[in-house]
Amino acid sequence: MTTLAPLDPGGRRLADVAHVIRSKNAGPTLLTIDIFFNDAQAFALAAQSAALSCAAVAQRYGVDAALVQRHLVPGIHAIKFVLPRQVCAGSPGDGDVYGAQQHVPLLEVML
Amino acid sequence: MNAVDRLLRSHRPQDGPLRVLAASGQLGYGIPEPALRRGLARAPDFIGCDMGSIDPGPYYLGSGTMAAPPEMVYRDLDLVLCAALDAGVPLVIGSAGTAGARPHLDAVVAVLRQIARRRGRSFRLVTVASDIAPEQVVSALAAGTLEPIGAIDLPSEEQVRACSHIVGQCGTDTLAQALALGADVVLAGRACDTAIFAALPVMLGYPMGLALHMAKIIECTSLCCRPGGRDAMLAELTMDGFTLESMNPDSHATPASVAAHALYEQADPLRVEEPEGTLLLDAACYEALDAHRTRVHGARFVARDRPSLKIEGACLVGQRVVLLAGVADPGFLDCLPQALAVVEQRVRALVTGAWKLFTHIYGQGAVRPLAEGTLRAGEAGLVLEFIAPQVELARTAAGVFKQNLLHYGYPGRKSTAGNLAFAFTPSEIDAHAAYRFVLYHVMQDVAIGDLFALNAIQVDGQQVH
Repeated sequence: MTTLAPLDPGGRRLADVAHVIRSKNAGPTLLTIDIFFNDAQAFALAAQSAALSCAAVAQRYGVDAALVQRHLVPGIHAIKFVLPRQVCAGSPGDGDVYGAQQHVPLLEVML
Repeated sequence: MNAVDRLLRSHRPQDGPLRVLAASGQLGYGIPEPALRRGLARAPDFIGCDMGSIDPGPYYLGSGTMAAPPEMVYRDLDLVLCAALDAGVPLVIGSAGTAGARPHLDAVVAVLRQIARRRGRSFRLVTVASDIAPEQVVSALAAGTLEPIGAIDLPSEEQVRACSHIVGQCGTDTLAQALALGADVVLAGRACDTAIFAALPVMLGYPMGLALHMAKIIECTSLCCRPGGRDAMLAELTMDGFTLESMNPDSHATPASVAAHALYEQADPLRVEEPEGTLLLDAACYEALDAHRTRVHGARFVARDRPSLKIEGACLVGQRVVLLAGVADPGFLDCLPQALAVVEQRVRALVTGAWKLFTHIYGQGAVRPLAEGTLRAGEAGLVLEFIAPQVELARTAAGVFKQNLLHYGYPGRKSTAGNLAFAFTPSEIDAHAAYRFVLYHVMQDVAIGDLFALNAIQVDGQQVH
């Protein structure tokens, strides 16, 4: 039987356990967010954390949870999210044509 | 003999690796020359450059203009064209002039001709036009074979016809058709970034899966390395894999950095959809050869029965004028959104017509939603977009809005002399036309064979003009 290391009761801040947290368009209609964790332990912690479930991420971005995809890539300790963009890139009303600053709502996530 | 024919006749995959030099992932923004020179010293079999993307937004496709500065486009094209001609190897450029529609293709051909004249160089150029006739899209719409990619609606027939340009991302098969015409330089309009680097290897008999996977990684040059960068990237392809090596000695292709690149700007890290089929990366392996180079193998390609085509189309929304101003008064910061709404109503009573306002309050959630309580930073920046059918109307709305906001008397106001700080005047600025994407869709079951117009041109720099 394997036991998990006891968690810090306060949890871990995502920005402290990942060395890359980035967002970018995957085409003008989708936003993709890549998180690369510092090590296998941090990846495992994040992969099982409710704070990084599709539902939790959908809530942070104000989109329907059914439209959020999550890909786990354990080999490189990465989690990818794909979300619909609220405004098609570059249409009037868009605030981030490249989608390059949309990772920020995740920085303060507590795992 | 032209460079493509020479390569196709002389190179046999069993004789040794095919050396592919990716010179630029964004031609026109300044190719780093030291790394390019190192790459050229490695005697590449061909040179590829990506020149465009949909990322910069709908303006460039809609307006038919290039995003990169013309001077730098000339400089970069001059570098790679002379390098390829000197070495006698093919030069393949995709997504001409940012968005790859007819005006972009023509603009890049014009620069190539200009370089040829100034340098006295002659070469055989084959161009691929990626423009798709609106009728073709309307037919697909009627046949139910037009599918949205992500969060975008199916367009109406009128919206399709309103697009100023529609392009299709031509794939490896189309570029192979162009290369088969015999060329020193192949310049494609909108193209899959993979096709630029995969077409020649596939024509030479290398496996489609490996060729596409290699292409997918090197099209961004050294971005797949750690630290990532824009330096030229060399791939050495054999029948069972490829080796990746940055031409910047301080930028290292490691198994982790290369594998991580599969996630970049991709919706699915394990599948890449191409016109001809699907590239599957689930069995891809990345092994370090040393601290600087990584060997990759294992990607598979599954062809689809009928090709599909990603299409892009943009239409004019109106003429844009922006008003720039700063706000620092805490009382005004507290009521900015409400103040903008009230002033908009006042301006609408004064300036009639179909103008639209899009507000961006920097410091108060213009970039991403902010939680209540974090909104009131020390100051805010206003970028107010006015979009109207005529630029004069947009200017009028912006000018009247500026003065009304400057002197708006909000409740509790102490600064009765003015609400806005201007860094300069005029603070309302003509900001080009506004466009939007109407099309970012897949057309299924497309007869791709004759969709893209190919044109062979002898560019003669010796001619007297």
